Amino acid sequence: MHVTICNHEYCVLGAGPAGLQMGYFLSRSQRDYIILERNTGPGSFFQIYPRHRKLISINKIYTGRRNKEFNLRHDWNSLLSDRPSLLFQRISRELYPNADDFPRYLSTFVKELGLKVKYGADIGTIKASDFNGNQGYILTDQNGVSYQCSVLLVSTGLWVPQQVDFLGSDLVEGYESIPTDPEEFKDQAVLILGKGNSAFETAQSILGRASRIHLYSPSPVRLAWQTHYVGDLRAINNELLDTYQLKSLDGLVEGRLEDIAIGKEQLYLTLTELLDQNGNNISKITGQNLPGFHTDNFSLRQPYDRVIRCLGFRFNFSIFDGSARPPQSSGARGRLPGITAWYEGRGTPNMFVLGTAAHSRDYRMSAGGFVHGFRYTVRAVHKILEQRYHNIAWPATKLPISQLQSWILRRVNEASGPYQMFGVLGDIILLRGSYCEYLEEFPLQALPQLSALSGRPLTDQGLLVLVMQYGLNRTDTLGPGRAESEWTKAWRSNFLHPVLYYYNTLPTEKDMRQRPVGWPLPRPEALHHMVEDFLTEWDQPISHSQPLRRFLEHCLQTDLRAFYAESCFLLSLTSRTPPLFCRQGYLRKQGIVGNSHLWQHAREAGLMADHQRDITPGDDTSVSEYLKHAGAAVVSTMNFDL
Amino acid sequence: MEDSSQSFMERMHTGKTSFIYFGNHVNPTIKLFMEQLEMSADALQDYGISVVKVNCSKDAIANYCTGEKLMTKAYLFRGSEVLRSFDIDTVFDVNAIVSHVLFSVLFNEVRYVHTPAELLRVESTAKQNSDIVVGHIPVLGLPEHRALMEAAFVYGTKYQFVQTSGTLVLKHMGVVDLSSSQARLWFLHCKGVSRRSDPCPSTPMRKPLNTINIHTFLQLMEAPLVTESVLDPSEVDVVHLHLGVPVLYLFSQPQTQHLDRATAQTLGLQLRGEVGVVLIHRDNPNVKTSLKYNAAYRLPQEDVKYFTLNSAEGVVKLFKEELLQEQKLENEEEDEEHWSDLDILDDEVSESVYRDRDLMLDLESVIELTSDTFQITVTQDDITVVLFYFKWDAVCMAFIQSYIEVADALEGMNGVKLAAVNCGEWTDICSDQNVTSFPTVLIYRPMAAAQLYRGMLGTKSLHRFILLSLGSSPYILSSSAEVMSFLEGDLYSKHMYLTPVKVLGLFSSTHDMGVTSFEEAARLLRGESILGLFAHKEAEQWVEGLSVNLPALLVSRGPGVPYEVYSLPSSSPTDLVSLIKQVELDRFPELTVENLPWYLELGKPLLLLFIGKEDSTESTKALAEIKQPLSSGQLDSFLPCWIHLGRTPVGRSILEKYLGFVPPLPVLVMSQLKTGEEVFLFPPERPLMAKNILQWIHDVENGQEQPAGLIPDGKWGPPVPFFDFLAIMDQEAPTYAVQRAPKMKTGGREDHRENKHVTPNQKQTPHPSSNPQAPRQHSEL
Repeated sequence: MHVTICNHEYCVLGAGPAGLQMGYFLSRSQRDYIILERNTGPGSFFQIYPRHRKLISINKIYTGRRNKEFNLRHDWNSLLSDRPSLLFQRISRELYPNADDFPRYLSTFVKELGLKVKYGADIGTIKASDFNGNQGYILTDQNGVSYQCSVLLVSTGLWVPQQVDFLGSDLVEGYESIPTDPEEFKDQAVLILGKGNSAFETAQSILGRASRIHLYSPSPVRLAWQTHYVGDLRAINNELLDTYQLKSLDGLVEGRLEDIAIGKEQLYLTLTELLDQNGNNISKITGQNLPGFHTDNFSLRQPYDRVIRCLGFRFNFSIFDGSARPPQSSGARGRLPGITAWYEGRGTPNMFVLGTAAHSRDYRMSAGGFVHGFRYTVRAVHKILEQRYHNIAWPATKLPISQLQSWILRRVNEASGPYQMFGVLGDIILLRGSYCEYLEEFPLQALPQLSALSGRPLTDQGLLVLVMQYGLNRTDTLGPGRAESEWTKAWRSNFLHPVLYYYNTLPTEKDMRQRPVGWPLPRPEALHHMVEDFLTEWDQPISHSQPLRRFLEHCLQTDLRAFYAESCFLLSLTSRTPPLFCRQGYLRKQGIVGNSHLWQHAREAGLMADHQRDITPGDDTSVSEYLKHAGAAVVSTMNFDL
Repeated sequence: MEDSSQSFMERMHTGKTSFIYFGNHVNPTIKLFMEQLEMSADALQDYGISVVKVNCSKDAIANYCTGEKLMTKAYLFRGSEVLRSFDIDTVFDVNAIVSHVLFSVLFNEVRYVHTPAELLRVESTAKQNSDIVVGHIPVLGLPEHRALMEAAFVYGTKYQFVQTSGTLVLKHMGVVDLSSSQARLWFLHCKGVSRRSDPCPSTPMRKPLNTINIHTFLQLMEAPLVTESVLDPSEVDVVHLHLGVPVLYLFSQPQTQHLDRATAQTLGLQLRGEVGVVLIHRDNPNVKTSLKYNAAYRLPQEDVKYFTLNSAEGVVKLFKEELLQEQKLENEEEDEEHWSDLDILDDEVSESVYRDRDLMLDLESVIELTSDTFQITVTQDDITVVLFYFKWDAVCMAFIQSYIEVADALEGMNGVKLAAVNCGEWTDICSDQNVTSFPTVLIYRPMAAAQLYRGMLGTKSLHRFILLSLGSSPYILSSSAEVMSFLEGDLYSKHMYLTPVKVLGLFSSTHDMGVTSFEEAARLLRGESILGLFAHKEAEQWVEGLSVNLPALLVSRGPGVPYEVYSLPSSSPTDLVSLIKQVELDRFPELTVENLPWYLELGKPLLLLFIGKEDSTESTKALAEIKQPLSSGQLDSFLPCWIHLGRTPVGRSILEKYLGFVPPLPVLVMSQLKTGEEVFLFPPERPLMAKNILQWIHDVENGQEQPAGLIPDGKWGPPVPFFDFLAIMDQEAPTYAVQRAPKMKTGGREDHRENKHVTPNQKQTPHPSSNPQAPRQHSEL
């Protein structure tokens, strides 16, 4: 057999959204990379799924805003690039687009950015190998072509249907192969295993034809609008909840999947405990094996015409040789590979997992399993690669401290990464005395390794972390008192809101492990919640800016108020170190002068000294009127002038 | 009392102190003032001060019944000498009149201090000599001020009185909440300090500042720390009971007498000013108190109550937290208000912008740019000025008002356009243009890189910059006649009012290596300076007879002012820029709000002349006297400069901060800023003449002059305490913010919620702070 070996610094496995996203960043930084795809086009998963062809990722085109970053908060399908026009809305204007549009979008993305994708390369095995002392990977495809990769980026997604083994599970149809024509379900009783989006999507499509639809799975349905987790049941798929609660013959039942059995001919559901201990022949199921025989009002006592499995997908571990196989994740029922906080496989150095397969880091928590979330984690991983393999430090903006507050407000009001990847990606501000370095969208769980991963040295001045978070109370999402408007109670905010953590020193691994329950980060030295905002505009002076300023003042132990040039003039001559704002503005000849109209306001508020009074004696000012203002005067106007 | 010119003249000869108002007619304002004036007559009579009004329409008294100050001023005379004059809106009511008049009369007795250092100096002279009463009066002329002044009048010979308004002194005295504008008083026990190096112990007065409370407080300060007695508590008579102050009784036995006395002293110190302490010797038969009690107290107008306590701290706690709670309650209310104060903006820029929130900004004269229009717009005109701003940033919004003013002023001018980019919306433009600081102003010209505007963010500076930017930089001059015209302002005279200063680069030929460098520097300085370039064989003529060779810089400061010439070393454009900026600086500048940073950068001590708003001959003379030694280089180690209080009214506040008051102008001070904290005042009684000034400088340098004030080295910490969310969480949801215990399993969310209730919380159950080894325990406690 003819053996071909290709060498690449980076191999990206899979041309789905995550693979292409990484491809874009590698191509932008001009790295030697190849994207390997076994199908003939990108995003092949979306050629099949979702089966009923409606994407439930939001494609909101009209936001009333023209801020490109902000608009990405409401665009869940686009990938990141420097082409402003390369957005999904070019392909579809639908809020919930047709699934065919997504591979079309991905093809456009590949074409316009000239990404290097090799189609038709079906990788069968992945082996670890030693390249000059570093662990690398050798991938072999169906034609025996080998790819030697210094760094392997696994973005294969999840596509192996999740199955559960029980008696009669062979009688069950899978979501991947059921007919999608509702007519095929006419007057049929259907049992669906699962209560996720695919189960409800299936139910919804046959709602008008099936006689009875029952959804069965261990846990009760979790509603995305209650849990804020987009992987839970989305409202667009939940019509069945209506027919269930209005008693229109549909329903939800909880029970363990391992405990059931399905009888042949007529599909009866029964419990394993009712089967004969030694008999595992399903044909032997008789009336006595059925729960209805023992409990006359057992919910699922009627037989079904079809049983459908909608249990989601799992990661394909089978292509990994033992030397290269990442462990199974501890969460998500082991369906995902276990990875570090910086998305490297545990025990598989130089192999990173991207996209939906990397969801074990924030499973049931944030958006890392979805395009609108992992496009940002991919970007973060790319920055880590640049640092580790090319010694290019994490990009940072150097800001004078007097500008910090306005940067934080800017990020809070427009940034999409921390907004989508709430609790997972956060901005890091390294304090360096009179200035600071602003790092965007760092994976929070990797904070103890900040210095090594980012290439940014730490000083003893401490750091701030800006995170978007939902609040602690998640019980009554639509009930009264769900919204908090008092900034002093901001920590009780239920909706997504910005939170700032201040640490003197970088938290250690141990601090991270022992962080308070439900928190993304350990208990900091000081903490600030910015109160949730109905419009997600955190820009109001009293409720947002001033409390933030005071928090920063506490962390930096300095006065951060702004002063007009005149005040800075006074303070520069009468104190040896004027306030920071004067030092970084006025004394660098960039004072904010203002005008008499504004000064008047400031004087009336008693914030600015009034020296004008004896210039214009104000004949029309009555004494009583003067008295009113006298209380506010802070500076003496004693006049010793002869 | 009303004076005729006759009685006025007589009064002038008595040598007595009188407060006189001259008026000629009555309007409602004056009428109110007159009423207050009459009320003050009674009050001031007690201090031997007459209050007088003179009706100028009847008796025109020279100097006082004429001039613009008539009606708006009142005067304090001692005999015929004017001690002070007051604006009548300073002495607006009886309290203000009494406090200001007494303050002036007591000027020598009541020390006005500004900084902790000044206070320490007063303390060190008072040590082992007399005690000190310090009053912090944030607002002059209010009843608290009057109360302090009246007390000073009465007790002035007994105690050293000190008045202050500085927050630094407050901090020094241990006040934490500096935001409250409450008047305060302390008693410093300096007389009794045993060693001069010891600090004076201080006792704060906890009651509101009024005459009666001050009187009571001073009496208490005189009372002994501990009164010893051999009577039963109900029989003991101490001054505290007469002053309405609670008394604490402790009991002592012969064998522990020494210890008991020490405990009583400690308690006496801790409760001084609030509670009297009496030590009763049990061995006397008059003492009938049962042995089961070890202490007793008596509140004003109540009977003695006996109790048993275990520690000295317990006693203090009992008084501070329970018995004296009435006063406490008031304070707590204040604390609560303090948090609602959190919703008041304390930033002058934010607040002033916020007060305009109902105004719609009229951006008509400014073009709002978008991603679609940006590129086209900035390449259209000779100059496009672009402001990058955030709507929610107060500094940006304060500046945008100035920006609009500039745009309005330049509207219709050819070749200039003012535009703005809202970075909250067009974040892509702002990132593309590398704008990382807000507000930022960039100047765009076709085919050139954007130039950053580095000047003051104000109407005048930006306007000037734009107009200057319209000219060439440098102006290429081709003949000596053109040079003359350039320097004397005929050529390009339209810029004269923008800046009189012109800098000319002189080169012997256009091939000179330095020409390119100079041209590049001129480009960098475009808008900031007016630069000419004369690269010509005739250039030699302009330095002829001077000790400078070509290439050279020639500086003109306006018509009629002699040129200055500097040799021009070959250097990089950026070095050249700083050289040009440096030679442009005035050697004896008038300091203004807009130019101060350029001069402070020199890092020299300031020799600062303050002149009044009226351009008097005195001021002109003073300016000339300082200029004199300037040319001879005798002041080179200083920056001689001046402030015109008319054009720069904030100068008055500077003087006040330096000296604590505003002396008659002109006044010369030396403030050393970077090198030290002292401010020296040129003695007002000496004539402001060059030789006196030099002598004074000499004296200051030799440490022969006493500083007249201090520049505090204030640390600009957070202006208000921060709102501690963690503390609130710990209180309201004790386990919520607590780190997990080391071995707790990290499972799913549901587990955690259960764990919440079992997580131990150390914060909530503090160990009771019993301190068995506390020294100096009362034996009976």
